[in-house]
Amino acid sequence: MKIIVAIKQVPERDAQVRIDAAAKWIEESGLQHALNESDAYALEEALQLKEKNGGEVVVLIAGPERVGPTIREALAKGADRAIHIDCADLGKLDALGVARLLAAAIKPESPDLVLTGLQSDDLGQGQTGVILAELLGLPHSSLILHVEKTDAGLTVKRELEEGWFQTIELPAPAVLTIQSGGNKLRYATLMGIKRARSKPVLQVAEAELAIDAAPVVVLERVALPQKQKSTQILSGTPKDAAAALVEKLKFEARVL
Amino acid sequence: MLLLTATLAEPQHFSVAEKLLLVVLVAASAGGFWLRFRVVLNKILRSKKDASFHLFPIGKRVWDFVWEVAFQAKVIRQRPLPGLAHAFVFWGFCAFVLVTLNHFASGFGAGFLDPAGPFGRFYYGFAAVFALACAVGILGLFIRRFVVRPKWLGKELSYQSGFIAFLIFLLMVTYLAAFFVSDADPATRVLWWVHTLALLTFLPIIPHTKHLHLVLSPATVFLSRGGFSRIPPLDGDDDFGLIAGTDLTRLVSLQAYSCVECGRCTEHCPAANTGKLLNPKEVILGLRGYLNDLGPKSEEPLLGKYTPPQVPFQCTTCGACEFQCPVGIEHLPILIGLRRGAVNTGAWEDDHGAKLFLALERGANAHGLPTSERDKFIRRAGLPIFDGTQEYCLWLGCMGGYDPKGREIIADFARVMNYLGASFGVLREEKCCGDPVRRLGNDFVFQQLAEANLKALAQDKVKRVVSICPHCVRTLQEDWKDYGTPPPVEHHSEFLARFADKLPKRSNRRVELSLNEPQPLAANSLARYPREAGANSPHLSKSQPQPPLSTGNEDKIVFHDPCYLGRYRNVYKQPRTVVKLSGELVEAPRNHERSFCCGAGGGLVFLGDETGERIGKVRAAELVATGASVIGTACPFCNSIFRDALAEQGEGAPQLLDIAQLTARGLPVSGAS
Repeated sequence: MKIIVAIKQVPERDAQVRIDAAAKWIEESGLQHALNESDAYALEEALQLKEKNGGEVVVLIAGPERVGPTIREALAKGADRAIHIDCADLGKLDALGVARLLAAAIKPESPDLVLTGLQSDDLGQGQTGVILAELLGLPHSSLILHVEKTDAGLTVKRELEEGWFQTIELPAPAVLTIQSGGNKLRYATLMGIKRARSKPVLQVAEAELAIDAAPVVVLERVALPQKQKSTQILSGTPKDAAAALVEKLKFEARVL
Repeated sequence: MLLLTATLAEPQHFSVAEKLLLVVLVAASAGGFWLRFRVVLNKILRSKKDASFHLFPIGKRVWDFVWEVAFQAKVIRQRPLPGLAHAFVFWGFCAFVLVTLNHFASGFGAGFLDPAGPFGRFYYGFAAVFALACAVGILGLFIRRFVVRPKWLGKELSYQSGFIAFLIFLLMVTYLAAFFVSDADPATRVLWWVHTLALLTFLPIIPHTKHLHLVLSPATVFLSRGGFSRIPPLDGDDDFGLIAGTDLTRLVSLQAYSCVECGRCTEHCPAANTGKLLNPKEVILGLRGYLNDLGPKSEEPLLGKYTPPQVPFQCTTCGACEFQCPVGIEHLPILIGLRRGAVNTGAWEDDHGAKLFLALERGANAHGLPTSERDKFIRRAGLPIFDGTQEYCLWLGCMGGYDPKGREIIADFARVMNYLGASFGVLREEKCCGDPVRRLGNDFVFQQLAEANLKALAQDKVKRVVSICPHCVRTLQEDWKDYGTPPPVEHHSEFLARFADKLPKRSNRRVELSLNEPQPLAANSLARYPREAGANSPHLSKSQPQPPLSTGNEDKIVFHDPCYLGRYRNVYKQPRTVVKLSGELVEAPRNHERSFCCGAGGGLVFLGDETGERIGKVRAAELVATGASVIGTACPFCNSIFRDALAEQGEGAPQLLDIAQLTARGLPVSGAS
């Protein structure tokens, strides 16, 4: 079973994000990057499938040179090889553009399964995986917590609202977008890191893939959310304070 | 005294038959010894070489050898009675070297020590004194082993040990008895032969029993790694720690064969004493069993049949075992080596462990909290950022930066530093020092953290570091050396003790009252630190004065020695100096180098529930039983563990304060409106 896991490098979760001068993107200098969380779960799912069914796990990533450590992390955790689409500025692409890049790299591999995270922690559009399936002409399902290989294809567990789950069957190959939390992530080991050094990383230039990358969705402006929290302390006896609170909830907050 | 005037009797003539018999017996005994000893020696020498071992500087080795082997200082100091008994046996053996050589030489008519000559008379008398002491010593040890039977010697009686004790006793008695007979007396010949046979029987028993320590332990002590819990750097790309026999180094194998099974390690081990599976003695004997059965070239995993896989992960790395071991076994590099083997290969599966590793792979602290939490605390507490102009870099650590109680300790220590006029700043970005991953054997994450931190300290041109956490202190100062040169680091107890003269002394406070000095704090200043001062403790709200907890009498403060400050850093006096400024110091039954761990170390505080009794609870009960009104700590991890343990005690529990807090509550209230 050959599984391709499309992953993304995003700013570290608790990074102090600043907006760049043009207000088109965030200031990248001094920013630490890490593997996108739901992609980490996609990788874990792929590794577990490989441990059960055998085969190969290939990680696919598009991004500038700084994605190197993320590739090594994925290889250290057990991926067999990597494909790096060298793309200096992912920000200039939209989800369709990224999906086209990924699809172009995936096609010659003809995998049995393509996994990717549900959405990225930075833009959070949740589009890339779904568009990728469309471009590859493969069936897809999203919000997946668990994947099982069957004789007929795949059985997957999907997350629905309010703690409901759905189990569906679909043919392979397919594209699945993985939800965080379905598995326990493994930790990186020294042995893994050392072994990763000798694993192949295929470098592909963006131009080589010859796709039409002109964005159809254009990012207009990036802004930090306005701080809107305001705290008022109501003084007086509990009775007066309660009366004042009811007043405010009724006429200022209009929630009663 | 009779011995001073008496002369040792020796048979004057040996027949040819006797001489032949002696040759055969000596050859058989020496041959028996060598055949068995060769096997052991081979296992040790065929083990992997210790890549990081250096014989030089040799001064400390010589000193350790003289102190621990020749003087038997550790043996005696940590267990005075049996230790002294052992020392008498050992010194007796040393005194007997010359006597024994002459004994066999005289059998062939080549005796060189004339019992009647001036030197012979002196030396035999001298040896007789030791023989007497040795006989009494071995009798004492025999009684201890077979009558008193302390539990750490194991449940099974060792008849081998009994037999050896009998042989030693016989050796001494036959020697001493020869002073009471004349040369011509037939009994002299009998005594001579019994002495000879006892000796020749003893020799071949040595290599396959714990008495091998006679031969090996002097070498083991001399060839130590040269530091407490010195974890050797991994050797090349194929070394991931202790996985199989092929990973056992010569030092490890030598140590495994040196164990004398005295059980001092077990006696002091917090895990073994609270119902865990870990027993440090059994770990060492497990390695010996592995070497005996499979040898140092085996690919069989070390964890499994001989040592259950969970055993190394029950170790708090308190180091009591390594500290106590009289034969120079370094348990911590072995236990941590076994962890390294399991963690560096991913064989260790533990949900809590994986969570900790993932938190430190990505984030900056062991709690898995966002770094913005640390930034917020720095702003709220008004801590200055280190900019290269200040004298000290105040290292916050995971506890000081993220834990509510740790933050209180930092805030109070910062107050004391300000009071003393010491300039300091905190790093803008600081990662976990790597202590929990270092001890758990995750070399990958440890290297990442050590390198990132060393870079940050070098960039900011930090000259000195001070920390409230003994784990940080040890890791920064010693363990980071594998990846760079850390600046000098000191623990806040060392810092505070240096300034002891300038800090207010509680009992003198009334005397100190003068116009020029700031108004000293009255007893109600205690109210700022009510019992169980937690994150939301009312001491932050100054509008609600608390009643004084002390009624004017001096506080009785019991100080708990943190493992990483005491045994690891040999700092015992300084925190006590600080404690004494605030009240009357009382000692727990187990103190100084015998201090009993709180259970947090070795990364265990981040792992799941303990099996058996909780170590921290046992220690907290011991501290409470001293009747002290305050438990003084010097480690935020101990503090955190005791906080939980004392919570069960309810209202009657003593106060729990770090030494920085003890000091801070004695400071004048200037500036605090």
